[in-house]
Amino acid sequence: MAVDDSQARKFQKELNVGLVALVVLAILDRSSDDLYGYEIAKRLQRANAGEALFKEGTVYPVLRALSAGGFLTSRVKPSTTGPPRRYYRITREGRALFAQWSVIWTQTRDFVDRIVQGDER
Amino acid sequence: MSRPAPRSIDDYLATLRAELAGDDPAVIQDALYDAEEHLRAEAAANPHVSEAELLERVAATYGRPEEIAAGYRDTETTVARALQPPASRRLASPHPLSRFFAVYVDPRAYSSLFFMVLSLVTGVAYFTFAVTGLSLSIGLAILIFGVPVFIAFIGIARVISLGEGRLLEAVSGERMPRRPIHPGRSGTLWEQIRAMLRDARTWTTLAYLLLMLPIGIIYFVTAVTGVSVGVSFLLVPLVGVAQRLDWWLPWGDERILFSPRWLDTPVGWIFCVVFGAAVLTTLLHVARGVVGLHARAAKVLLVT
Repeated sequence: MAVDDSQARKFQKELNVGLVALVVLAILDRSSDDLYGYEIAKRLQRANAGEALFKEGTVYPVLRALSAGGFLTSRVKPSTTGPPRRYYRITREGRALFAQWSVIWTQTRDFVDRIVQGDER
Repeated sequence: MSRPAPRSIDDYLATLRAELAGDDPAVIQDALYDAEEHLRAEAAANPHVSEAELLERVAATYGRPEEIAAGYRDTETTVARALQPPASRRLASPHPLSRFFAVYVDPRAYSSLFFMVLSLVTGVAYFTFAVTGLSLSIGLAILIFGVPVFIAFIGIARVISLGEGRLLEAVSGERMPRRPIHPGRSGTLWEQIRAMLRDARTWTTLAYLLLMLPIGIIYFVTAVTGVSVGVSFLLVPLVGVAQRLDWWLPWGDERILFSPRWLDTPVGWIFCVVFGAAVLTTLLHVARGVVGLHARAAKVLLVT
């Protein structure tokens, strides 16, 4: 069976399920200003420099879900270019969640690296 | 199922709406709002790029409409599953009587009752707002400042309907939009007014605001009557015993006479307690059911 692009995309999509939330939290954790969806999406895209690992559109439902969970607060400001923008800020719970998730991520990454590079001891 | 790639922002939003057809209208409203926010920001950031080229770029970065639709559908089901309280355990309770009284541990029953009491206040406010706004808009239509009055009136009505939706989701659990209606196609003032007038939702929203007065009165009367009758009957034995033992009698020498007299006997007391409890429990069931139906009807008028 030939391995084609669609399989790569599917794998990437499955990996992204939790990771988009993690990187969104990271961006907001580091930012001193409130950010709106478009800015967050663009910052992620810039950090990515080149091939997009995920679609910017996936950021919005994640922002909404994190906000519903109390990990972000938001407020609406009018904008001259379109509908009013929703600006997000990370809450104390959000920072705690980010700290917890980063630990899990580091452990997972190291573990996967060891296995994938055949360095299991 | 492949549609032609959208060539403009309005086109993109229409395709996204078509992709989401059949989904929860609240999700559709949120998804369209987010997409429009992003696309307009993208257009503003790249003023020299043609809209068709911009949309091509957007398909690669933001995502094609079908990808976005799938994303919202997935996130919505995951989040809904995570946030929903485990209701199955209570429903599975075997005894019909324990199922009947299980309503006392359901927070939704109390919040629904609260909504019924509150709806008199909101009903009066909505009705006043709708009537004032409508008459001002029509009355001033012949003058030039009838136009901003009308636009402000519809704008505030949309904000109110978003707020009412949030309130109803909080008390009933029915999914409601978290974002206002997206302003729609940009155009001249007249085009926007014409779009507002032609939008069926403008009129259903106004109908909802007007209807909330009579409905609010009925809800308020039902809730207050039910609570007073139920609590009064529950207190009968207490009053009966207190009068017999000459305990604390705030009403001085006056005695409360029960009619018929047999209510003030041990058998009557048992009857009163059972009856009062039945009234209160039924009221909570009615409140939960009615507000659930109300939320679904509100969704049809305010969202769909």
